[in-house]
Amino acid sequence: MDIRIALAGNPNSGKTTLFNKLTGSNQFVGNWPGVTVEKKEGKLIVDKEVVLTDLPGIYSLSPYTLEEVVARNYLIEERPNAILNIVDGTNLERNLYLTTQLVELGIPVVIAINMMDVVRKNGDKINIQELSRQLGCKIVEISALKGTGVKEAAAAAVEAAQNGKTIPQHTFSGPVEHALAHIEEAAVHGLPEEQQRWYAIKVFERDDKVLEQLKISKETLDHIEKDIQAAEKELDDDAESIITNERYLYIAEILKSSYKKHKAGQLSTSDKIDKVVTNRWLGLPIFALVMALVYWIAMVGVGASATDWANDGLFGDGYHLFGIGTSAYEEEAEAYGDAMNAISAFYELDTEAENFDADAALAELKTVTGEGTATVTVEDEETLATEDMTVYFDKVPEDAGDDVIGMSFQDAVAYVEEKGFEEPDPAEYGVWVPGVPALVDKLLCDEEGEPRVADWLYGLIQDGIVAGVGAVLGFVPQMLVLFLMLAFLEACGYMARIAFVLDRIFRRFGLSGKSFIPMLIGTGCGIPGVMASRTIENERDRRMTIMTTTFIPCGAKVPFIAMIAGAIFGGSPLVSVSAYFIGMAAIVISGIMLKKTRMFAGDPAPFVMELPAYHWPTLGNVLRSMWERGWSFIKKAGTIILLSTIAVWFLSRFGVVDGAFRMLEEDEIGMSLLGRVGSAIAWIFAPLGWGEWRAVVASVTGLVAKENIVGTMGVLYGGGEGTVYQALANAFTGITGYSFLVFNLLCAPCFAAIGAIKREMNSRKWTWFAIGYQCLFAYAVALMINQFGGLFTGNMNVIGLIAALIVLCGMVYMLFFRKYQEATKLEKTVKI
Amino acid sequence: MLWLQENGLTVAISLVLLVIAFLIVRSQIKQKRAGRTSCGAGCAECPMHGSCHSSSKQ
Repeated sequence: MDIRIALAGNPNSGKTTLFNKLTGSNQFVGNWPGVTVEKKEGKLIVDKEVVLTDLPGIYSLSPYTLEEVVARNYLIEERPNAILNIVDGTNLERNLYLTTQLVELGIPVVIAINMMDVVRKNGDKINIQELSRQLGCKIVEISALKGTGVKEAAAAAVEAAQNGKTIPQHTFSGPVEHALAHIEEAAVHGLPEEQQRWYAIKVFERDDKVLEQLKISKETLDHIEKDIQAAEKELDDDAESIITNERYLYIAEILKSSYKKHKAGQLSTSDKIDKVVTNRWLGLPIFALVMALVYWIAMVGVGASATDWANDGLFGDGYHLFGIGTSAYEEEAEAYGDAMNAISAFYELDTEAENFDADAALAELKTVTGEGTATVTVEDEETLATEDMTVYFDKVPEDAGDDVIGMSFQDAVAYVEEKGFEEPDPAEYGVWVPGVPALVDKLLCDEEGEPRVADWLYGLIQDGIVAGVGAVLGFVPQMLVLFLMLAFLEACGYMARIAFVLDRIFRRFGLSGKSFIPMLIGTGCGIPGVMASRTIENERDRRMTIMTTTFIPCGAKVPFIAMIAGAIFGGSPLVSVSAYFIGMAAIVISGIMLKKTRMFAGDPAPFVMELPAYHWPTLGNVLRSMWERGWSFIKKAGTIILLSTIAVWFLSRFGVVDGAFRMLEEDEIGMSLLGRVGSAIAWIFAPLGWGEWRAVVASVTGLVAKENIVGTMGVLYGGGEGTVYQALANAFTGITGYSFLVFNLLCAPCFAAIGAIKREMNSRKWTWFAIGYQCLFAYAVALMINQFGGLFTGNMNVIGLIAALIVLCGMVYMLFFRKYQEATKLEKTVKI
Repeated sequence: MLWLQENGLTVAISLVLLVIAFLIVRSQIKQKRAGRTSCGAGCAECPMHGSCHSSSKQ
């Protein structure tokens, strides 16, 4: 027969780490409390007959939170053969509170004191033998993170399950024990002997769920009530508080003889760090700084070069293997560019003309006479910005400034005489690896470069699939760097501090800090973020959290943010950071506004969260988290994004022109099926500054999956002359680009997340309300950005400006002048 | 026959693409029936993972 062992302990005491070590499973471990909300099962690696159950972290066996209910129900109803109680050795007093209750259940208990490495490092001493004697159960010292003592702990639990018995050593004060004896006699006598004490204590505490379960008759209850009241009168406190106080007194008593703190009264390193990072004034600026640094590293520092390689190399023309030949090529390309610019200043040269004759052109160039300088307009390849630069005819002076082309006209003529008019080919330098489009060309085209397949199929593959999926996959390197750093911040314990810092702000605006946990999870994906709102007991807070969680940019929106930042804002990391702060501001503003309506009125639920000690996360844990997120992103690019790009390509490249349905030329895509539908609804977005069908279609396809915005833009803005980034830089200004970014960040999430909202709201009406609110809010904010931004750039529209002013006035009224509504009591029975 | 000779590669590649698209649609439908979402990032390590995917276990 299988042996069932339950892992129980306080939140963030290391249960899941121990569970993973013992079962070899891969459950997520997070350094913030509440990671495990439901129980998970696994078989012991060394003995497959032993089933280990990882219970959610709990502080007590009271039925106050979802986690406590899940854990308690399992322990009472399933009655495992033994409990392995994980105790955080650095915080014995609070952890043992749960232990005192577990030993009363009548199930054999083995205590594993975790983080012993930290305890020893701190110089603290725990007298294991004495503690074991006082608690009445075996104790094993472990470090789940380092894997020391874990096998011994499992072996001790198995042994306890087979032959062990735990007898609670603690006795309450006289009046309580007197009442408990009466309760045992009157109400729980029919239960197995080892369970009677726990039930009696719960009846003494007037635990609703236990009273309901025991179905005690009214006469017996009345009789018991007299005993409880007598104890309460004698000890001058309510029953539940009496039990709590006496437990803590008992713990203090046993710790006196078994625990010695080396630096009693002194602050630990974690406390010292927390004094700074959770400081009332410094907390938020430090968070902003940390996030800016994370995004700078991910988007610019490390990520940009990796993404450039992916976009321009792997999914572009190709790349030099390990950079061999890059510098030689770049030097040559710069010289060629200078030569062409220098020649253009004094001679009209068109090397791409059909009748271009290199020898004749060179002969003519040699006859050109001139002196002094001339001006040439130079276009930046990335931003398409133009700049007038000076060209010297005979010699560039040594002290020439930045606005002078580095080659004179005469030197340029000598250059083309020696090297010709052909642009340098990167493939001739170093070790050249062709990009995916070049490889696809090799497969689909003949030696002259003409497609061997139908034009539509060539276009579908190159301009649809390769451009669309490539645009999304190009961001994988940046995303992996970002995920790695976010995983580190989560695992080291910093993210938990942000919940604490934000609770202070959230609370002021009517939201509970509990809403931060869904938001934190929502940075990965909105679906689990929405589902994590289940832990919020207050129905109104829960609904509000569901409605606002997806304002935080999820992982799928990161490529889109990076694309807009790269194409329109020169790759500034501030754009990415601002996306997160706009998400948070949207949550706070929505929180205030919604709380002032009758639907959401009421005080936010109190938020109690233990801040875990900082620790260095294990490399494996951080890498696994990064890879899991990254891999699901790659998988999605190969499935949903691939399908969408095929659909978008077909719908944007075929249409009815002059009454005939046919494939369209590059300059006709405005007449495509997608173009016509997009144009029909584009007017709605005109006040936001991007009432252009391609941008509108990209936003709509984002509803399928947010990565699709990038894929669709890759298909719709690509294909012409220049890169997608250049086309985007042409289509958007800084203000309209930011308005487009903000709208897509805040509007309705993808269909999958909408499904999660529907499941969690459990109401069609509330789902539509949530989606409607998100879209309206996104529209309002994007409208204000475009209209007020237009004031500074001179691109003003009076009607739009008036509309934006009305929206702003409405928001200001809701935020600062409307009074909070009186809460009406909302009661609902929830079956768990 | 001549048409097939001229368009053989187009037909073959189109068929491959059709099969890929069919397989993707089928896997997406299967996933949806199994209660899994198309969520792109983070489901696997999510604390609620078990409850999102509980229908596939039952």
